[in-house]
Amino acid sequence: MNELLLLLISAILVNNFVLVQFLGLCPFMGSSRKVETAIGMSAATTFVLTLSAMLSYLLYQYLLVPLELEWLRTITFIIVIAAIVNLTEIIMFATSPVLHRVLGIFLPLITSNCAVLGVALLNINAANSFSESVIFGFGAALGFSLVLVLFAALRERLELADVPLPFRGPAIAMITASLMSLSFMGFTGLI
Amino acid sequence: MSKSYQQLGTEGLWSNNPALVQLLGLCPLLAVSTSAVNALGLGLATIMVLSASNLCVSLVRHQVTETIRLPAFVLLIASFVTCAELLLQAYAYPLYLRIGIFIPLIVTNCTILGRAVSFASRNPVLPAFVDGIMMGLGFALVLLILGILREFFASGIIFANMELLLPFAENWEIRILPQYRGFLLAILPPGAFLFMGFLLALKNWIDNKMTVKQHNDEADILIRNTATK
Amino acid sequence: MSLSKRVKLRKNHQALSTSQIMLQVILACIPGIVALTVFFGWGTLINIIWLGLLALAFEALMLSLRQRQVIFYLKDYSALLTAVLLGICIPSTSPWWLGVIGIGFAIVIAKHLYGGLGQNLFNPAMVAYVVLLVAFPVEMTDWVVPRGSGTSPPDLLVSLQAFFSGDATGIDAYTGASAMDLFRNERGGMTITEFWQQNPAFGLLGGLGWEWVNLGFLFGGLWLLYKGIISWHIPFSMLAVMVLLAALFYDNGSSLSGGSPMMHLFSAGTMLGAFFIATDPVTAATTPRGKLIYGALIGITVYVIRVWGAYPDGIAFAVLLGNFAAPFIDYYTKLSVTQNEK
Repeated sequence: MNELLLLLISAILVNNFVLVQFLGLCPFMGSSRKVETAIGMSAATTFVLTLSAMLSYLLYQYLLVPLELEWLRTITFIIVIAAIVNLTEIIMFATSPVLHRVLGIFLPLITSNCAVLGVALLNINAANSFSESVIFGFGAALGFSLVLVLFAALRERLELADVPLPFRGPAIAMITASLMSLSFMGFTGLI
Repeated sequence: MSKSYQQLGTEGLWSNNPALVQLLGLCPLLAVSTSAVNALGLGLATIMVLSASNLCVSLVRHQVTETIRLPAFVLLIASFVTCAELLLQAYAYPLYLRIGIFIPLIVTNCTILGRAVSFASRNPVLPAFVDGIMMGLGFALVLLILGILREFFASGIIFANMELLLPFAENWEIRILPQYRGFLLAILPPGAFLFMGFLLALKNWIDNKMTVKQHNDEADILIRNTATK
Repeated sequence: MSLSKRVKLRKNHQALSTSQIMLQVILACIPGIVALTVFFGWGTLINIIWLGLLALAFEALMLSLRQRQVIFYLKDYSALLTAVLLGICIPSTSPWWLGVIGIGFAIVIAKHLYGGLGQNLFNPAMVAYVVLLVAFPVEMTDWVVPRGSGTSPPDLLVSLQAFFSGDATGIDAYTGASAMDLFRNERGGMTITEFWQQNPAFGLLGGLGWEWVNLGFLFGGLWLLYKGIISWHIPFSMLAVMVLLAALFYDNGSSLSGGSPMMHLFSAGTMLGAFFIATDPVTAATTPRGKLIYGALIGITVYVIRVWGAYPDGIAFAVLLGNFAAPFIDYYTKLSVTQNEK
C-alpha cells in the first residue's frame, strides 16, 4: 500500500508528466486559456487516462505477450485509446447529456494527447503490475490536471501583463512553463 | 487549391512551421532536444513517417469514406511509426534507447495527423509527398537547432556521439569552449521550455522586422510613384 | 489603474509610495544582514553591493530597450530590493559571475519579460536563486563555517579574492556544508540530542549563527508588520504550518525525527522567507483567506523538501510553487466571496 502511495506522489509531483516528462504538452498549451476549460479537459483526461492504462495493460499481458506480438503494441494501444474515447462519448451522451455538453468537446482531443499513449508505454517499460499501472495512470492524470488548472489561472493573469511584443502569446507561455518546471525541480529526490 | 512547390517549402519551413507556428509536436520537441544526435535521430524518423503517411493518405484518399477517415489515417500512421521503430532498433540501437518512448509517441505528434487530414487527403500524390517532406523538415530543423543550442549551453560541446546515428561521424564532436563550466539548466526540463520560448520570440521578432520593412518598401514605392507623377 | 496605486491598494496603505515601501523593506533587512556579516564574514556585503550595481545596470538596459523612462522607474528601488534579497540568499563566498547570471535571470526574464514592476508572476529573486541552485549546485551549497565553531570567517581581503578569482578554491579552508545540509546528510541514525551535541555547527535554537540571522530577520519582519507594510496572514500561516508539521514528525527526537520545530524556525532562510519573500504583494495571493492558504502551502512545501527532498532548503522552491498556485487560489477565494455576498 505504501509503495502505491509513493508511486502516486512520484507520478504527480516528482515526475510530473507535463513539467518534467514533457507528455501532454499540446492540450497543456492549447486548452489552458480559461480555468473552466482546463477543469473540463482535466476531468475528461483523468477518466480516459486511467481507463486506458488499465485496458492496455490487460491487452498487452493477455493478448500480445502470449501471441508474441509485442512489436504491435503501438498500434494496439492507439486503437484501444481511440475506442475508449469513442465509447466514453457514446455512453456519456446516452446517460448524462449535461456532462456530455461540458466534456464532449474535449474527448476527441484526448486521442492525440501523448500522455495517454505515454502512460501505456511507460507502464510496459517499467514492468508495472496491474495495480501499479492503474495507480500510475491515475497519478499521471492528476499531475496533468493539477498543472493544467494552475497554469490556466496563471495565464488569465498573464493576459493583463504588458509583455514585450515579440514575447506575446506562446513565447511567454513557454517561459512561464519553464519557471513552473523550475519550481517542480524542488521535488527532486523526494522518492 | 493547389499550391506551388515553392509555397509548400516556405510554409513548411517558416510561415506555417509545425513547431514554431502551429505549436504541434511540442512533447518530442522539448523532450528529445537535449543533444544534437538525439534531435537528428528523431527528426529523421519524423520526416520519414510524415512523408510516407502523406504519400499513402493521398493514394487512398478516394477510397476512404468520411466516417472511417480518422481511424484509418491513425492506423496508417501507427504502422509507419512501427516501421521507423523497428528500423531504428535494428540499425541504431543505442540511439533508440536514448530517445526511448518518444519514437512510438510519433503517432501522437499532431503534425502528422493534421497534415493527413488537412492537406494529403485533399491533394494529389506528389504535392502531398512534398508537403510531408517540407513539414517534416521544418519540424526537424527546429528540433536540431534546439538540440544544438541546449547541448552547447550545457557542455560547451556540439555534435557529441554523432556516431550513434551516423557510423562515419566519429570525429564530429566540436569543443567550442574548452574551459566552459557548463550551464546544467539547459538540458534540464526548465531549460527546454526556456530555449523554446526564446526561439518563438526570435521568430516573432524577425517576422515583425520583415513586416515593418515590407511596409516601408511599399511606402517608398508609393512616394516614388507620386514623385514621378 | 497606475502601478503605484495598485501596489498601494494591495498593501492597504494609502500613505506610502512604491519607492518608500521598497526602501522600508530594504532597511528592515539590516539586522539580518548584520548578523550574516558577523557570523559569515564580508561576503554578504560584497554580494549585495555587486548585485545592486548589476541590478541597476540590467534594469536600466531593459527599460531603455523597452523604451520606458529609465530614471523614473530606477527610482522605485524595486530592482535594488531584488538584488538585496538575492545577495542575502546566495553563499557569502560567491564568485562575481554567479551574480551576473542570477541578476540576469531575475531582472530580464522574471521581471521585464512579464512587463516589469507589479506584473511579474514569479518572485524575481527566487527565480534567480533556484536557477543558480539547479545550474551550479557546488558553488551554491558551499557556506562559510560560522564564527564560534572553531574558526573565524575569512577577512575582507580573502573574501575579495574569492569574489574576483572566479572559483572557490582559495577559500576552501573556510567553507563547509551548512547546518541544514549536515542535518540531512550526515546524521547517520543518531538521535537529535546526540547529533546536536556532537556537531559544532548547531547552536541553541538552530544552526549556529543561523539562529541569529533568523532572529534578525524576525525582528525586521515584525517591524514591517508594525509599520503596516505587510499583513500577518502569510508569515503566520507559513510558520504555523511548519511548526505543526515539525511537531507531528518530531517523533521524540529519535533517529527518524524530522527535527524540532525550533530548529525549523531558526535555521536556513525560514524567517527571511516568511516575512520578506513570501509576502511580496505582486506574486502572492491577495484575499485574506487566500493569503492563509498561500502561506500554508509554502509552509508544507518547505517542510517536505527540507526533510525528504534532495535540496538543502525548500524556501525558494516553495515560494515559486506558491507563486504558481497564487492566481488559482485568488480565483477560488474571490469566487467564494462573491457567492457569499449573494
